Amino acid sequence: MKIIIGGAGAVGTHLAELLSNEKQDIILMDEDQSKLNKMDSNFDLMTVCASPTSIQVLKNTGVDDADLFIAVMPEESRNMTACMLATNLGAKKTVARIDNYEYLLPKNKSFFAKLGVDSLIYPEMLAAKDIVDAIRLSWVRQWWEFNGGALILVGTKMRETAEILNVPLHELGGRKIPFHIVAIKRGNETIIPRGDDIIQLHDIVYFTTTKKYIPYIRKISGKESYPDIRNVMIMGGSRIAVRASQYAPEHMQIKIIESDLDRCHRLTDLVDDKVMIINGDGRDLDLLLDEGIKNTDAFVALTGNSETNILACLAAKRMGVAKTVAEVENIDYISMAESLDIGTVINKKMIAASHIYQMMLDADVTNVKCLTFANADVAEFKVKEGSRITHKPIKDMGLPKGITIGGLIRNGEGMLVTGNTMIQPGDHVVVFCLGMMIKKAEKFFN
Amino acid sequence: MINWKMIAKIMGLLLFIETGFLTLCTLMSFYYQEPDFSAFIISTSITALVGIPLTHAGKAAERKLSRRDGYIVVTFAWIIFSLFGMLPYYISGYIPNITNAYFETMSGFSTTGASILDNIEELPHGLLFWRSMTQWIGGMGIVIFTIAVLPIFGVGGIQLFAAEATGPKFDKITPRIDVTAKWIWTIYFGLTLAETILLLAGDMPLFDSICHAMTTTATGGFSTKQASIAAFNSPYIEYVITTFMFLSGINFSLLYLLFLKGSFKRIFKDTEIIWYIKTVALFTIIITIGLLLTSPMGLEEAFRRSSFLVVSIQTTCGFITADYMQWAPALWMLTTVITYCGACAGSTSGGIKCIRAVIMARIAKNEFKQIVHPNAILPVRVNGVSVSPTTKSTVLAFFVVFALLVFFGWFSMMVIGLDFDDAYSVIISSLANVGPGIGKCGPAFSWNALPDVAKWFSIVYMLIGRLELFTVLLLLTPAFWRKR
Repeated sequence: MKIIIGGAGAVGTHLAELLSNEKQDIILMDEDQSKLNKMDSNFDLMTVCASPTSIQVLKNTGVDDADLFIAVMPEESRNMTACMLATNLGAKKTVARIDNYEYLLPKNKSFFAKLGVDSLIYPEMLAAKDIVDAIRLSWVRQWWEFNGGALILVGTKMRETAEILNVPLHELGGRKIPFHIVAIKRGNETIIPRGDDIIQLHDIVYFTTTKKYIPYIRKISGKESYPDIRNVMIMGGSRIAVRASQYAPEHMQIKIIESDLDRCHRLTDLVDDKVMIINGDGRDLDLLLDEGIKNTDAFVALTGNSETNILACLAAKRMGVAKTVAEVENIDYISMAESLDIGTVINKKMIAASHIYQMMLDADVTNVKCLTFANADVAEFKVKEGSRITHKPIKDMGLPKGITIGGLIRNGEGMLVTGNTMIQPGDHVVVFCLGMMIKKAEKFFN
Repeated sequence: MINWKMIAKIMGLLLFIETGFLTLCTLMSFYYQEPDFSAFIISTSITALVGIPLTHAGKAAERKLSRRDGYIVVTFAWIIFSLFGMLPYYISGYIPNITNAYFETMSGFSTTGASILDNIEELPHGLLFWRSMTQWIGGMGIVIFTIAVLPIFGVGGIQLFAAEATGPKFDKITPRIDVTAKWIWTIYFGLTLAETILLLAGDMPLFDSICHAMTTTATGGFSTKQASIAAFNSPYIEYVITTFMFLSGINFSLLYLLFLKGSFKRIFKDTEIIWYIKTVALFTIIITIGLLLTSPMGLEEAFRRSSFLVVSIQTTCGFITADYMQWAPALWMLTTVITYCGACAGSTSGGIKCIRAVIMARIAKNEFKQIVHPNAILPVRVNGVSVSPTTKSTVLAFFVVFALLVFFGWFSMMVIGLDFDDAYSVIISSLANVGPGIGKCGPAFSWNALPDVAKWFSIVYMLIGRLELFTVLLLLTPAFWRKR
């Protein structure tokens, strides 16, 4: 598959890295040679130092037989232009990174398709959604809804109060239990568990379940004492902060702390009255105390600096904030941040990349989510007529190790899967797999 | 340099426009065959004869208006319009005193609605019609009218428009200023026509219907009857006039969206309108309850009287259906409070305007918040957009100037010899262009009893108030006349 990526920024390079490990033909374009040098020497891909909006350059790089053209430059309008050019020069599919909520509205989708932009990706919006999902339920580390909430993935950290510690999974109540444990994250390692695995203290456990059993999961995880989030403090008035405060539910009171005065004034135009803008440094503990960090339920650090975000979250935890979220753009720091007990780690690049990654999957995938610190992929497959998975019950399928089925959605109803379940065509199946094994999983569904 | 030649030319053209209006009244007078006919003929001729040399003087003028020229044009347009507008009253002998005649005319053009006439019914139809017409022209603005009909201002038009329009800012509804002015006048005309028809349906005579429709939509308040609207003694007419006073208090750009684009959503999302509706409702409820408790009125009558009064005072119209001085003192005291608030910017009403009240209230609220959160950046939002610091300081300056003018005027009136409450009510009523006040200037009396000096004072205040303080006061600052 030939993929051209325009723009070697954070999202572009991460995506190139991800895809080249997948043995795809990647061409990375950027006008800045210094950005390309590192990529060229470390990864198996081709770099072109030229503008992705130049017709001649696009022709020379062979856009006419490209399967996918991805424009992830910082400027929205350049991305749109590049995609329109690419489509008209013969690219099969195009993706543009945007920075405007209006463009994402479903009614505008066909309009952009007509212009030659097939898919739009808005990394800040995706990250903001993840942040709001994370703070809405303070006891949850990861929250993901499949098919509008029919099936839910919940990740939570085991504390001393949890009821399911040190018991082999097959003893956890036989087949009557209303949840399925799809992954366990222990230290730096991710386990797709089997019946004889046990859950240990400080593990992060990922459950799939339906909405009505969420309180049950909360009970067995020993998290019933966690408060509901009302007061939220965001450090750093980035674009993600703006999106998150717009996306947050009505009952949340948000304070954004931003050190740049001009940016503060700009922020007042972007947010509404439920958000208060504070001009100051979020690392100043006196300021945080003045602004009531003691009464804050969630602290979100979104400055451009990963180290600052991690340390600020640690400080906030010390001062008694129940839930902290840190934006960590340095991928190597993610597992460290996790082990330092920072609630949720957000990485814009990985979120964006996983969304783009979904677009190249051959199967009819509607949702792929990259579990940022679990090194696992979650995919939702729509089962096609006559695919291999429909032939036998699951226990006889011989699914490879590292792949598990979290549940399925049949006629809009979420249900859990046991060994005897027969999967039918038309079902939406939620699959968990390690690393990039999603390609293998795909074969079962086509 | 001030372009006096161009200013003279514009003044001349404005006089021709006034001649046009006067001719209309002359025809009216001719139709009724009344004694003011000759006075109208003379006034019309004088106005035209002065207009000719003025336009001639500006023949070779450079077609360019600076910002300063704009302020001079607007202020002088109103002074000169009133000067020639008083001729029919004076020449016909119905108002034989120059002070009184000028007062009546300025009260008309500035849509104040205070009158020095003690027996309005004795005036012939022609003069009554001219009296209502002055308010109708003044309501939306002499200059805005001129922009709508004559393309004479060229590039300077926008400056003039802004100088005459009410409120801290005005929204253009079309890209071109003359088209905007035309639409605003179309809506204005449409409202007047609609009200005339509805009043006719309530068995008001045609002549009275037209006159009242003109002074309602202008939120002026001149009636053809000494007893104002109370003379008709009809709940239907009172409700119709209440409705149209209320509509005329809404921003005309929003009325344009409502009537011509059918966009209801914008209307009910507009911060200012919501405040306007809320304040009207609040004061109506308070006064209705007050009347129920302190007077023998039934619920319907109390509601009708109070809603009419509140809308009439808040839009600074000044029509009267009841002598509120007979009510409990706390209720008529409220009328002076309502005066401060005023209706929407961009309407025909006077006073401080809701939008400024909203901005000031939010600035005050933020001050309290700021004490608790010293580092917070607290925006003042109107319609979801934060107000720029310049607008904020303009609004505060407006209020300070307004308050200073009130205190200065109050003091001066007392020096002239007025009582404490009369002095206050004359000043606030003139500055906010309301009309009736309290005490001896209350709804049951005319302002004829005031000394001449007090009347001139009041005239100046009406003009300052109508042109939103700064336009007139600017001409009194030395910096304006300095040649740099």
